[in-house]
Amino acid sequence: MSENTKGRIKLLLLRIVVYAILIILSALCLFFFYLMVVNASRSNAELAKGFTLIPSGNFFTNLKNAWNDASINIPRGMLNSLIIALSTAVLTTYFSALTAYGVHVYDFKGKNLIFTFIMAIMMIPAQVSALGFVQLMNKFNLTNNYIPLIIPGIAAPVVFFYMKQYMESVLPLDVIDAARVDGSSEFRTFNTIVLPMLKPAIAVQMIFSFVSSWNNYFIPALLLDKAELKTVPIMIAQLRSADYSKFDMGKVYMFILLAILPVMITYIILSKSIIKGVTAGSVKG
Amino acid sequence: MKKQPEMQGRVKSISYAKWGYIFIIPFFIVYILFTLVPQFLTVYNSFFENYRIGLTQVGPNYVGLENYKALFTPQSDGTILILKYTANTFILWIIGAIPQFVIAMLLAVFFTSGRLNIKGQGFFKTVIYMPNLIMAAAFSMLIYTLFSKVGPIQLFLEHQGIIDKTFDFFAYRVSVRGMIAFMNFIMWFGNTTIVLMAGIMGIDQSLFESATIDGANAWQVFFKVTLPLLMPIFVYCFITAMIGGIQMFDVPQVLTKGDGLPNETTRTLVMYLNRYLSGASRNYGAAGAISVIIFIMTGVLGFVVYKMLAAQYQEKRSAPKYHRRRQRGENA
Amino acid sequence: MKKLFTILIVALMLVSIVACQKPKPAEQGKVFNIYAWNEEFKGFFEKYYKVPEGVTVNWIINPSDNGVYQQKLDEALLNQANAAADDKIDMFLAEADYIGKYVESDYTMDVTSFGFKNASTQYEYTIKAASDSKGVCKGVSFQCCPAAVIYRKSIAKDVLGTDVPEEVQAAIDSWEKFDAVAAQAKEKGYYMTASFAETFRAFSNNCTKPWVDENNNLQFDDQITAWIEQTEKYVQNGYTLTAGVWDQEKTNEMFATGKTMCFFGPAWYYNFCMNNAMDPNDGCVGDWCIVKGPQAYFWGGTWLLAATGSDNTEMLKDIFETFTVNTDVLKSMVKDDNQYVNNTDVVKEFAEDPNYGNTNILDGQNDIAVFYELAKDIKWENHTNYDQILNEGLQNKLQEYFKGSVDKETAMKNFYNYVKEQYNNIIVPEA
Repeated sequence: MSENTKGRIKLLLLRIVVYAILIILSALCLFFFYLMVVNASRSNAELAKGFTLIPSGNFFTNLKNAWNDASINIPRGMLNSLIIALSTAVLTTYFSALTAYGVHVYDFKGKNLIFTFIMAIMMIPAQVSALGFVQLMNKFNLTNNYIPLIIPGIAAPVVFFYMKQYMESVLPLDVIDAARVDGSSEFRTFNTIVLPMLKPAIAVQMIFSFVSSWNNYFIPALLLDKAELKTVPIMIAQLRSADYSKFDMGKVYMFILLAILPVMITYIILSKSIIKGVTAGSVKG
Repeated sequence: MKKQPEMQGRVKSISYAKWGYIFIIPFFIVYILFTLVPQFLTVYNSFFENYRIGLTQVGPNYVGLENYKALFTPQSDGTILILKYTANTFILWIIGAIPQFVIAMLLAVFFTSGRLNIKGQGFFKTVIYMPNLIMAAAFSMLIYTLFSKVGPIQLFLEHQGIIDKTFDFFAYRVSVRGMIAFMNFIMWFGNTTIVLMAGIMGIDQSLFESATIDGANAWQVFFKVTLPLLMPIFVYCFITAMIGGIQMFDVPQVLTKGDGLPNETTRTLVMYLNRYLSGASRNYGAAGAISVIIFIMTGVLGFVVYKMLAAQYQEKRSAPKYHRRRQRGENA
Repeated sequence: MKKLFTILIVALMLVSIVACQKPKPAEQGKVFNIYAWNEEFKGFFEKYYKVPEGVTVNWIINPSDNGVYQQKLDEALLNQANAAADDKIDMFLAEADYIGKYVESDYTMDVTSFGFKNASTQYEYTIKAASDSKGVCKGVSFQCCPAAVIYRKSIAKDVLGTDVPEEVQAAIDSWEKFDAVAAQAKEKGYYMTASFAETFRAFSNNCTKPWVDENNNLQFDDQITAWIEQTEKYVQNGYTLTAGVWDQEKTNEMFATGKTMCFFGPAWYYNFCMNNAMDPNDGCVGDWCIVKGPQAYFWGGTWLLAATGSDNTEMLKDIFETFTVNTDVLKSMVKDDNQYVNNTDVVKEFAEDPNYGNTNILDGQNDIAVFYELAKDIKWENHTNYDQILNEGLQNKLQEYFKGSVDKETAMKNFYNYVKEQYNNIIVPEA
């Protein structure tokens, strides 16, 4: 047997193993979505009866009930969540990249101290400042307002850390030197040359911050109580603690399913841009 | 091109340091306004007696280190609760994190391997990230119904005669910890895969090519080229996963209804913190002290890990970095 | 000149202080704010109460998940003094298990201050629950929650040889007899109860001392100890399942295929917990009757409390009256909404009506008549602000013991730690 054939057989075997792993993992992940869809297709009474893998016929009834719920305005909630999550994602990624760039590229006094400081604040559990934060926002009269839900995204130590690490592994300083030689201002260099190079990193962090903002319950629940400002997770909690005459688990599952859709669409769009960003980058290189 | 030496001279003479400050200013303004003050309040609170009886506020009265002392006072049988919950937290994190990192690294390499050339990548990448989109509370609900005493798994195993009717998945440490670790794994391995993949794709492709031309096999390429260059991103993944692990809350909270079943063996540090914070007494003093302890612990561990891993990659990076520079020079 | 000016200012201030203290006709606000944790009462409110013209009603609904409802209510009450008139809370809802926390505080207002008088038709205990330790009443309940034993007729017939309420009641009118029937049921292959905590409320509502004494020591009433002993026996002998009160494992026992004879609950329990029994395919409507059981007790209830600082006192009075003395409204609530209302005249009429019977789930038995008798015995005694959390905590921690995953000593130790974390001021036995 020639080296070539041997290699080919080895590659074939490897591919089989790889595909097997991928299929098993995907099946596992999809299983939970299947469960959600099945549950969203069952009536409250059917759900109370127990578990099944076979979808039932109440999917559209649940959809209609959830969408038309008199006291919980789902389309409005999704719009609210979209506004908050999208603004947070954009601000977080942009300013984290900017901050990371500032620390990565420039040499200035206290640079190491600042890096150490941001690393340290990253270690503080989020729950720790939650209640102090809410009290403070009460004092500033910022309850029932989206500012405390969006603006803090500008200072996201974890995203900063990622951007910094990413720059360390992919951003060559000589590109910046070259831009300076061409007379580009520092700010312009960042916006037009560096940002496009960071596309995959930005796409990744956009997804993550979008998802975590979209699913955030604790802080928004403590800050928002006007019906027209409520976000999706607050509405789900409200549905779940509804009184018996309105309690409908089928509706809850349907709402959870609906809540995932926008996140999934965002993800699919952005995951394409990860791939595109990388291919574009390599062509340039 | 003639102007180049002159320009370069100018570049060197101009100080760009001020731009560093300008670029980091927004971060710090927002941080101080929205985060530092509440965090400072937390630390401050930890030295005070500060709680409510009903709607009546007790304190704040300065008590020095009393809140810390109380946390480290052993029970009658000698256990110190906060240490027990710390151990729980780490065990829960580690048993989920090992498969998470192994699988994520494997998948990232599979997806980026030109030789394997996996078809349907878009599909796989979307699917493995999907569990992360479900709210932790909703996911816990699903797992609970699967493993509950009237759930399908119990009924199936009963039917097969493997367990009897009195068996309860939530009565055993191993099974509850297993469920929590499994959920953390399923929810996060896709996320880690994407981060690592983005990292690998960011590496200059020509490096892989030249390594292959030099006769390196797949293992050698991975360990000599991919891994060292990926190290910064890997460090990021590891440290953030660790921080996430120490702050583990939603999954065990919802799955065990806040109790850390069985016998508090799945009760994490933040679940402990949460009871003081949103419990009936709003005991900000004790909550502040636990927060400070969690912070110190995370900080020390984070820095040890960062220094260890960072030291390693900085050594290994020097060679490829030189290589890359040289190549860029050739291109220019 | 300066002196004159000072005197003038002081005089002006004095006048204004006096003016403020003078009782002037209360001007009514245009916004009425109600805090609630779900929409149950909102439904009744919108159906039965006509809001005065020009007044906007704001419902501020916060789910009780993670304690968000009380947390936000507390913050709002603590800020009440500084809030603008239209942002002040006018009325809020509270449950039996924590009503004391608000009633005892200055954040709730004496109902007589705005001219509301409790009617003699209101159940005594609902007034007592809404009154502070000095007897000042701060609100009203729109329902009354006497609770009963709800039993499966077919199983009773098999076990006792009879399914007639009077005879079943005679067979289980004390805990000794109830235990004996449990043993009989077990022999026939049935469970007496489906949850380890099913009988908890029947015991805990009859405590003779509060959970916490005047020196803040945690104490166990004999009734609680009796419940623990009974449950130990029931679990050991297989008389009960170890499910929680709200668990699916328990509610599955309400299907026609269920093997459990007794459930414990008030009128709201039908709709809240017994959906499986009313399932058109697998349920068993008509196979149920209710009796008093071993001891009378009540469970739950929602109170409407008047918030101090409300500028809509006339409306508060109106609302309170609508849900306690407006007989047209109350009758309709019994008939159409399955409520056991807080008006003895109205419920008496139903209790004595030979044509009234419950066929939604029972066999046509007049359950209002049973509840009416039971409601006479309800007393509001030995309640503390701690009840909700202590009752819940004890059940959750002991469930692990009953399930066999820890020994009793450990379970109690976990309970004491739980209490200490929840209430800094309660003194527990050394854990």
